Amino acid sequence: MAAAQGSSASELRRILTLWRNVRVQRFVGQTVFAAIVIYVGYLLISNMSGRLDQIGLSLFPFVDTTGSFPFISVSGDFLNQRAGFDIVETSFGYDYGPNDSYRDAYFTGFLNTIRVSGMGIVFATIIGVFIGVSRQSKNWLVSHAALAYVETFRNVPLLLQLIFWYVAIYLKLPRISNPLDLDIAIVTNKAIALPFVSPESGFGIWMIVLLAGAAAGAAAYVVRSRRQDATGLPSHPGWWALGAFGAIGLIGFLATGLPLETDTPSIANRQVIGGLQMTPEFGALLTGLTLYTAAFIAENVRGSIQAIPKGQTEAAAALGLGSFQRMRYVILPQTLRILIPPTTNQYLNLTKNSSLAFVLAFKDVFGTGSVIITQTGQAVPIIALLMITYLSLSLFISLVMNTINSRLKWENA
Amino acid sequence: MTVAGFQIPDRRVAWRWARENLFDGSWNTALTVGMVVLIGVALYGVGNFVFASAEWEAITANRKLFFIGAYPRDEAWRIWAVIYVLAGLGGLSWALWSRISPLLAIGGAIAMIPVFVFMAHGEVALLTLGSLAAFGGGYAFGKTPALSGRYRNTARTVAVFLWIASLPFSWVLLDGVPTRLWGGLLLTMVLTVFGITIAFPFGVLLALGRASTFPVIRLFCVGFIEIVRGVPLITILFMAFFLLPLAIGPERTILFGIPVTGVDTATVQRALAGIVIFAAAYLAEIVRGGLQAVPRGQTEAAKALGLNTFHILGFIVLPQALRAVIPALVGQFISLFKDTSLVLVLALTDLLGAARQVSAQPDFIGRQAETLLFIALIYWIVAFNMSRASQQIEKNLGVGER
Repeated sequence: MAAAQGSSASELRRILTLWRNVRVQRFVGQTVFAAIVIYVGYLLISNMSGRLDQIGLSLFPFVDTTGSFPFISVSGDFLNQRAGFDIVETSFGYDYGPNDSYRDAYFTGFLNTIRVSGMGIVFATIIGVFIGVSRQSKNWLVSHAALAYVETFRNVPLLLQLIFWYVAIYLKLPRISNPLDLDIAIVTNKAIALPFVSPESGFGIWMIVLLAGAAAGAAAYVVRSRRQDATGLPSHPGWWALGAFGAIGLIGFLATGLPLETDTPSIANRQVIGGLQMTPEFGALLTGLTLYTAAFIAENVRGSIQAIPKGQTEAAAALGLGSFQRMRYVILPQTLRILIPPTTNQYLNLTKNSSLAFVLAFKDVFGTGSVIITQTGQAVPIIALLMITYLSLSLFISLVMNTINSRLKWENA
Repeated sequence: MTVAGFQIPDRRVAWRWARENLFDGSWNTALTVGMVVLIGVALYGVGNFVFASAEWEAITANRKLFFIGAYPRDEAWRIWAVIYVLAGLGGLSWALWSRISPLLAIGGAIAMIPVFVFMAHGEVALLTLGSLAAFGGGYAFGKTPALSGRYRNTARTVAVFLWIASLPFSWVLLDGVPTRLWGGLLLTMVLTVFGITIAFPFGVLLALGRASTFPVIRLFCVGFIEIVRGVPLITILFMAFFLLPLAIGPERTILFGIPVTGVDTATVQRALAGIVIFAAAYLAEIVRGGLQAVPRGQTEAAKALGLNTFHILGFIVLPQALRAVIPALVGQFISLFKDTSLVLVLALTDLLGAARQVSAQPDFIGRQAETLLFIALIYWIVAFNMSRASQQIEKNLGVGER
């Protein structure tokens, strides 16, 4: 009896010690947390799947649990069905028509997103750096005009700006029946067209020659900058690279029999034909995204220039460097290191914000996805697909920018 | 002499200032001339539009739509009640906390007078002035000897509780009208204020979870934060719009074996849910920055004093962390205020939606520029003033100076 009592007391003590063990506490705590998350997740998903069943849809249309091993459902793959809607604007010459599948439509939208984000990033960087440097100008008018730009554009919602550019500017351009013909460009509210070049026979070969030229240019750059580093003599690696590339490109252009033809836009049948065209939807989206993001990049640029101690400029001046050299070799490399992380964030924002194209009826990946949702009712897989798409894009941009950033650190270490 | 941050020099000094800042060398002079021409052209274009070609009747005929949307006129007293309570509380808090003169708030109010004159007529103007009086009343009450002296700390605690209570109070009062009728600036403000305040505790929890030493919790929090921050707000809104009613709807929801009925999934609530998810992830990152700014020694010292984890967090770490990130929180409020315009895609009539509705009215077809510029001005005034306020707070807190 007494022995039994003693053993149960020691049992209790053993359990209490166990319970006070931090590792046990951590294990129990995390298990409980995981169990709650999994249970709530299970409830939400089973709710969703139950309701989708009622309207004849499946939560996971690509999965066939009754089938054999990979459990992929062929009949449930609605992305293979005919899309039936047209996308007026495609990118990079990708061919798409209403008879293609939803998968093609989605891919077309994806390419459109890449095009508008890529161009937006390039233009926003150029304008942002320009405005950011202007903010530091000694000229009172210039610095305050830049300030006014920044405060105006970043304090008004982007969506409002996009709609403004679209309905109040681009759609108010002359109608196609009465186009504004500027000799170099045709401006209408259906399209703005600039003269461009179109490939002729021999274009492919010339492209290969150009690639070779680029390689030669890169080699020239490396050789000349090594010489400069080794001897200290000015060796102009940039000019050498440009020269090598230009010479090879020109020779190739003549040798392949002039593989480009000028393509002047014209109007026929109430349609703008030929040239480099931009629709008002794309134009409004690009203008809005660029000007909005440029305001934020300008603030980053200003901040990072201000972060460089004045002594750096003074020391560089004391060494006899000119104003351009001071900027190029002393200030800029240091600025870039501070500038790149916040600017990466702005690039990510621009890419995500390009989804607002939805409102302008420009078919980017989000716009295409939303059409597929309304046509098929498959909201769950499409929203999941959209999230994966944007997450991969974000990841890609972060990777590129981080690589650049770490290269900069390495070079200056 | 300095007025509002600008140097106002006398004539001789003015000439020297101009020479140094505008005509310093031939390049600078050319730049100045070019800028003058550019600004002149821009001002002429804007002035010509504002005073000559624009028809502002599209705005004046739709005052109510811009401010409260389809909210019934007879029920507008609910909104006024909320405004008066918040204005009174604001005045009280200003008296209890701020070391800045209330002139700043009055200055901000004066800056908005042109808008009020333009918008307000009859009783609306009187009621607006009344809300300023409520602010003043709250301020005077807060400055009474008892509250500014002996009972100051008690008064502060009470004020904090009143602020917290004012949120459900406001919602219940406004909810006398179905949410589908809410619109205009009212809806924009409701989505922003409720969005950020509901998201705040979740944001703090996510930030703590991310800093946690429990791998499972950390993984969950990092996953949530990074996924939400990696996708556009519009996809989150779509998710809330399409998937939320599927996941938790009125009839089927069973949470922990208890059937939860009557979960309201009207569009406004769905949009709010999406905004809360979105804001929580961004707030979490801001709070994380604050947590990292608290020196390690603080936690260690608290541990040495024998405080447990909850006390360390509640009394030592969080107060310092949150204080350090107040400017960033205001910044997040501003960006959320602008981002709520995205609910337009869910066919809600927020400020931007109201503008779109006006330009679809038969009388005002083609008057998009006027309506859009008008609401842009409203957004701008709010966002700009708040960012200035945040800079002021940053200065007062001395963040980054210690």
